[in-house]
Amino acid sequence: MRVVIIGNGVAGMEAALGVRARQPDWDVTIVSEESDHYFSRTALMWVFCGQMSQQDIEPLERDAYQRLGFRRVRARAVGLDTDEKKVFLAGGLEPLAYDRLLIASGSTPRPGPWPGSNLRGTGHFVTMQDLAWYEAEVHGGESRGGRPPRHDAHLAATTDDSPYRFREAAAAKRGRLAERPAIIGGGLIGIEAIEIAVAAGLRPHFFIREDWFWPIALEPREATWIGERLVEHGVEVHLDHEVQELESDDAGNVQRVRTDRGAYDADCVVIAIGVVPNTKWLEGSSIELDERTGGIVVDEGLNTSAKDVLAAGDCAAVRWFEGSLRPEQLWYTARDQGRIAARRLLGDESRYERGIWYNSAKLMDIEYTTVGLVNWSVEREQSWFYEEKGRVRSTTRIVVQDDRVVGFNLLGRRWDHSVLIRWLEQRRGLDWVLDHLEEARFDTELVPRLRIPKGRARPALEGPAPNPAIAGPTKVPF
Amino acid sequence: MDEQGQNGLIPTYREGWRARSSIAVAIAALLIAFYVVLYWEPHAKSVLGVAPFTEIAEALGLRNRWYLYGFLYSVTMTGGAIYYLRRHGNSRYNRVRIAVNVGVQVILAFLLPFVMPLFGAPEFYFSYFWPLQYSYFFPQTLAQLPLYLALYTVVGSLVLAPILAVVLGKRWYCSWVCGCGGLANTFGDPWRHLTSKSTRSWRFEQVAVHSVLGIVVVLTFLLGLDALIGADHPRFSHIVAGPQAWSLKSLYGFVVGAVLAGVVGVGFYPLFGPRVWCRNFCPMAAVMGIMQKLGRFRIRVKPDMCISCGNCSTYCEMGIDVRSYAQANQSFTRASCVGCGMCAHMCPRGVLKLETSWRHAEDKRRQRLSVIDF
Repeated sequence: MRVVIIGNGVAGMEAALGVRARQPDWDVTIVSEESDHYFSRTALMWVFCGQMSQQDIEPLERDAYQRLGFRRVRARAVGLDTDEKKVFLAGGLEPLAYDRLLIASGSTPRPGPWPGSNLRGTGHFVTMQDLAWYEAEVHGGESRGGRPPRHDAHLAATTDDSPYRFREAAAAKRGRLAERPAIIGGGLIGIEAIEIAVAAGLRPHFFIREDWFWPIALEPREATWIGERLVEHGVEVHLDHEVQELESDDAGNVQRVRTDRGAYDADCVVIAIGVVPNTKWLEGSSIELDERTGGIVVDEGLNTSAKDVLAAGDCAAVRWFEGSLRPEQLWYTARDQGRIAARRLLGDESRYERGIWYNSAKLMDIEYTTVGLVNWSVEREQSWFYEEKGRVRSTTRIVVQDDRVVGFNLLGRRWDHSVLIRWLEQRRGLDWVLDHLEEARFDTELVPRLRIPKGRARPALEGPAPNPAIAGPTKVPF
Repeated sequence: MDEQGQNGLIPTYREGWRARSSIAVAIAALLIAFYVVLYWEPHAKSVLGVAPFTEIAEALGLRNRWYLYGFLYSVTMTGGAIYYLRRHGNSRYNRVRIAVNVGVQVILAFLLPFVMPLFGAPEFYFSYFWPLQYSYFFPQTLAQLPLYLALYTVVGSLVLAPILAVVLGKRWYCSWVCGCGGLANTFGDPWRHLTSKSTRSWRFEQVAVHSVLGIVVVLTFLLGLDALIGADHPRFSHIVAGPQAWSLKSLYGFVVGAVLAGVVGVGFYPLFGPRVWCRNFCPMAAVMGIMQKLGRFRIRVKPDMCISCGNCSTYCEMGIDVRSYAQANQSFTRASCVGCGMCAHMCPRGVLKLETSWRHAEDKRRQRLSVIDF
């Protein structure tokens, strides 16, 4: 049995490991343009600042491919013939024949829509090659952890429009490292690019289109805290700024960001306005793509429209609980989907079922946990908000429907989301949850507990939090 | 101030002295030279012409070079603690832990042993126990100690230390009390990422640390036997406890006490991380590791939240691949874990938590985890 997996990320690798665990003799081939070694994409920021080396972000030891007998093809997949069962590769390489195929090609950065988005000195922060570019702009090169082995091996088998090509750094052309980077896009990748620029001693511009930071996840009071912390760290935060153009100097290096509210000098621009499924290479094949998102349409078994072809991870558009079809661009859902894909590749029946939504993040030094229906506009929604300002600063927001808790948005402390999820499933009321909140606390030892005021001092329920992201109303699915 | 979690980023691999560059090699060479001269000063004197430590100690009014060493050790640890707390001091666990550790070093391992002889008591280190301080169990040492100190040593080593390791994990000693651990966590902190996480290094650790434990137990037993029958068996006594350099007692002191604990233990900080001694050779760590496997301590993993970034594994000074457990949603106890808390501190998603509970001890017994991985 020949299994081919397009993509060396978490979904692809989980699938490969799952197949190998049960089928030691199957021929497993992993195609990746980006990197020889599976790495944690979420950790690129720490490689940039030198907190971890390139090898530190690889979850497997480097001899794992050899040990597990995974064949590696370092090339760009450019097309697919599902009748002949062949994957076409760039660079004039022999097409790869498969019996079963998993597409786990992930995401690519969403390109900037403005004039000048491709100037020298502009880039993204998603791929290994983006990391190399941003390092060249800010630090003048990689840290002492070094580059991964064969970091440019794919250049022999790629295309001109590949997102994994190396970008030229304006710093090299100019003969001076970036002093004033600008980051466009108020989401998680944006704040990572900001944080590592700050760590490099710079004072970056942060352009955010919305009225407050990360409105799909935070309400204004929460975002204000993050905004204050950004300013404390030396970031120039520009809210409600619509970027219009990136301007260059005579040599073609970016030198200014023009928005609807002014022009700002910048010698390096990170465009962090989200990611899109890496599926352009499938256009013209028989694989059905979702028109709106570009994701590969899959059923609950992760089957695509073609026989013996599965898709998992960021590139797959799965059915969400409220009925929409779109990708879930999260690390652990990609991992789960990879595990399901492994079973399907092995020929088992298996369904991908997404439970209650949850996620976590770290916004500089402020930890964030969210569970359930926050920012979904459920019917008759109310919210309960408490801000702790003692030795520990935290915010607790609980979304309530008819006294039943349906969501949590928590900043500044650590929480065990699995406990919170259980409470949502048990349809707990607000008072019960507040009385038991301590049981879900996951703070490190010696951290003072969260004391929620009792009786009259306890904050009252409010109306729904302002929410520009989602048009409601959504039915509670649990 | 959030009292937990990493605050600010660490430029580890952008600093040559922390990333095995030639500067790191030079620092290691200096540290090794320091220990070689310190331990073998009489020999060094014949080469150098001076006995630097003894002369400085005398000039400062310290009784001998070991008090000077204790003084330097305390100063270095205090300086290292300031460095450490500037980086990680926003976390309450780190603040309390390091303050206790430095306090124990300064008071119990420097001031008290210096002051006690002034009042006619022996020089005694309350913070060290057998089998780390193996000489406290030598029959002649025990015989010379006042009864209360002899009792303290025996009860502390055989009862208190293991029981506390069951109740709190070995961290109560290795990262709250012990001077070796204290130096590793303060002065050695800049190099904690250098401890190898490879499977090979784990295997080496398992064999090495338990071998040293076995050897020190046998040696202690033989010395006890020697105290009983040595007078009638001079040949046995000569081999086990004789004054010559190749007697078992002297060999252990040379190899384990001087070379492994001092020269290798501290000298290799900038090259192989600060816990080379604790992880691979310390017999006390081995004993308490076994107790920890059976006991209440564990690192809890929050399910399905790990993003596999590797901060935990990178900054584990004991070379534990914490990430592999986090990815597998598996709460765990590793014998080598000293409970410094850095994995939980560095985790950007708050996935890890150190905790102690009798329920965990039960679970482990039921799953027979204690026999799977040491």
